[in-house]
Amino acid sequence: MSDTPRFPTPLEEKVSALDEAMLAKGLGVFLSSIDFRSAALLNSCVHCGLCADSCHYSLTIGDEKSLPGYKVGLIEKVFKRYATYMGRNFPTWVGAHDFDEKMVREWIDSLYGRCSMCGRCTIGCTIGLNVPSLVGAARGALAAMDLVPPGLQSTVDKAVTTGNNMGIPTQDWLETVDWLQEELQTAVGDPSARLPIDKEGARFLYTANPREPTFFPLSLIAAGKIFYAAGENWTLPSEHYDLTNYGLFSGDIGAARTIAETLVKTMERLGTKTLVIGECGHGFAANRWEGPEWLQKEYGFEVKSILEIVAGYIRDRRIKLDPSRNTKRVTLHDPCNLVRHGGIVEEQRYILRHAVSDFVEMTPNREKNFCCGGGGGQLAMSCFTDRRKSAGGVKAEQIKQTEAKIVVAPCHNCIDQLTELNKHFKLGVEVRTVCEVTANALVLPAE
Amino acid sequence: MQPLSPLLRGAVAVSFIVCLASLTILVVRTFSFGKRPLRARPRGSAAGGIAYAFGAGMMPWEKESARKHIPTYTAGILYHAGIFASFLALLAVIMPFEIGELLQAAFHIFLAAGFAAGTFLLAKRMLVPAMRPISCPDDFASNIIVTIFIASAFTAPFVPVASTVLAGMSILVLLYIPLGKIRHCFFFFYTRILFGLFFGRRGVLPHHAAIEE
Repeated sequence: MSDTPRFPTPLEEKVSALDEAMLAKGLGVFLSSIDFRSAALLNSCVHCGLCADSCHYSLTIGDEKSLPGYKVGLIEKVFKRYATYMGRNFPTWVGAHDFDEKMVREWIDSLYGRCSMCGRCTIGCTIGLNVPSLVGAARGALAAMDLVPPGLQSTVDKAVTTGNNMGIPTQDWLETVDWLQEELQTAVGDPSARLPIDKEGARFLYTANPREPTFFPLSLIAAGKIFYAAGENWTLPSEHYDLTNYGLFSGDIGAARTIAETLVKTMERLGTKTLVIGECGHGFAANRWEGPEWLQKEYGFEVKSILEIVAGYIRDRRIKLDPSRNTKRVTLHDPCNLVRHGGIVEEQRYILRHAVSDFVEMTPNREKNFCCGGGGGQLAMSCFTDRRKSAGGVKAEQIKQTEAKIVVAPCHNCIDQLTELNKHFKLGVEVRTVCEVTANALVLPAE
Repeated sequence: MQPLSPLLRGAVAVSFIVCLASLTILVVRTFSFGKRPLRARPRGSAAGGIAYAFGAGMMPWEKESARKHIPTYTAGILYHAGIFASFLALLAVIMPFEIGELLQAAFHIFLAAGFAAGTFLLAKRMLVPAMRPISCPDDFASNIIVTIFIASAFTAPFVPVASTVLAGMSILVLLYIPLGKIRHCFFFFYTRILFGLFFGRRGVLPHHAAIEE
């Protein structure tokens, strides 16, 4: 391990104040989070270094600490030291290392600061190590020691205490939905068009990113327009509409569980059969795949992405699209948690092929797509902003190569990151959600 | 080739059993870390994912890291081919059994290529700066003892004492496998199954066809 990382206050103060008891707590949490899968992975790395080309941090920043193998190595060193015969008795021989302040600094710097948990390294790994799961386990130890970077921790805290990660009061949400409903009615020319709230017996419950009512209301109207055109029986909840779960990123599984359970209880309260996750990568992964594991129960309802719903509408001819209404060249960014971890791969492509007249893929794409750099809680961790923007250089280059005018991303975290990259790398593109582009192409029933 | 003494043959056999038993214990021991059933409803096929993990997922046209590092990928294949050939050469020394000239020639090609590949990988680890922070003494030792093992297999038919050296190196390799990273000879399969299970269940891999009208 090379230069000892330092951090801005208050994180630096907390790290400097670490004592044996706190280190033991973190270590205990780490070791107890290791299940048979992680134990197998931590026995398997062959230190080949071929993961370097898979990682946007490694490709842009280029130093040793950004290499996925180095990051896994930091976790492996601690695992070996405390959980293997050779690590306990011959640590230097196998590269094992104590879980001390130096190691904690490296963990924070590399595992929070140089990783978006995108999993592209997993696909490229010689052995196939599930790197995000290991990074998540390590982040959990740091979270137990109260060493989550402040912006990310406050996002999780707000979600746990207020029911949404931006702390938007319920009244504000309801008022926003009210005026958005008026906008929808104007957009579709029908005063009976609704953004229903707490409708019991609806076919599905639609959830949104709290950033939508605050910063991207058009994306909510777009979804409403599509549901209107499809004649859907749906509802928004009056409370707990937040599909995000930043516990996935902070590593605090207790918080992740609490946040996931909130949506489960909302579903049970309203008796809806399908939870529809709006355009959000980690929101989909957290609710569709991780929530049942955190809560250790099978959900009594389906969890679907809005993209599955809209693709179904197109296939079943419930909505009609006119691609000539979207003439600018469009390219698609594949959000890592939606595609590589979520399995929603073809739906967005199917939708875009019907909604736009000039659709071009990025290279590579699908599960091999590069992370935009905004995942893993990076957007909430201001102490690592410069690295995040730098690491987004790979995505910027992908976008440039398509010569697209519009980048579509079915994820609001990605939208935020892509918007920043647009400015930083002067890409000259518009950034849109799939629903926005689709709503623009909608041929309404009255037309 | 010089026949091995019964003692040496016995030692090789015991080493093999100890190696196999130790690796099995290591694998079984991972379950002591906890096993919770997966609760999320699958979207795809775990079996399909596993088939992909061991098939197409290892090919350079699918695996970017292989495609972008053809020399290292090729060296890896040749190295492992050399290792398998070395164990077969060890069997030929222990049993002993005769193999035809053509097969012998093929063996020697694999052994030579394996030795060259092992040397290349060792040199890469020593000389490429990016490899140093991810390397520890075990990485070097594993490479060195296995490459010497291959070299002893190559020379066994030609140098009388080489059979003894081959047996000795095989004991060293077999006893070292569970202690260091060479345990990946077992764990590779375990981890690829987990890879296939993860991406297969989630419907990510193998690739699905585009949605039809």
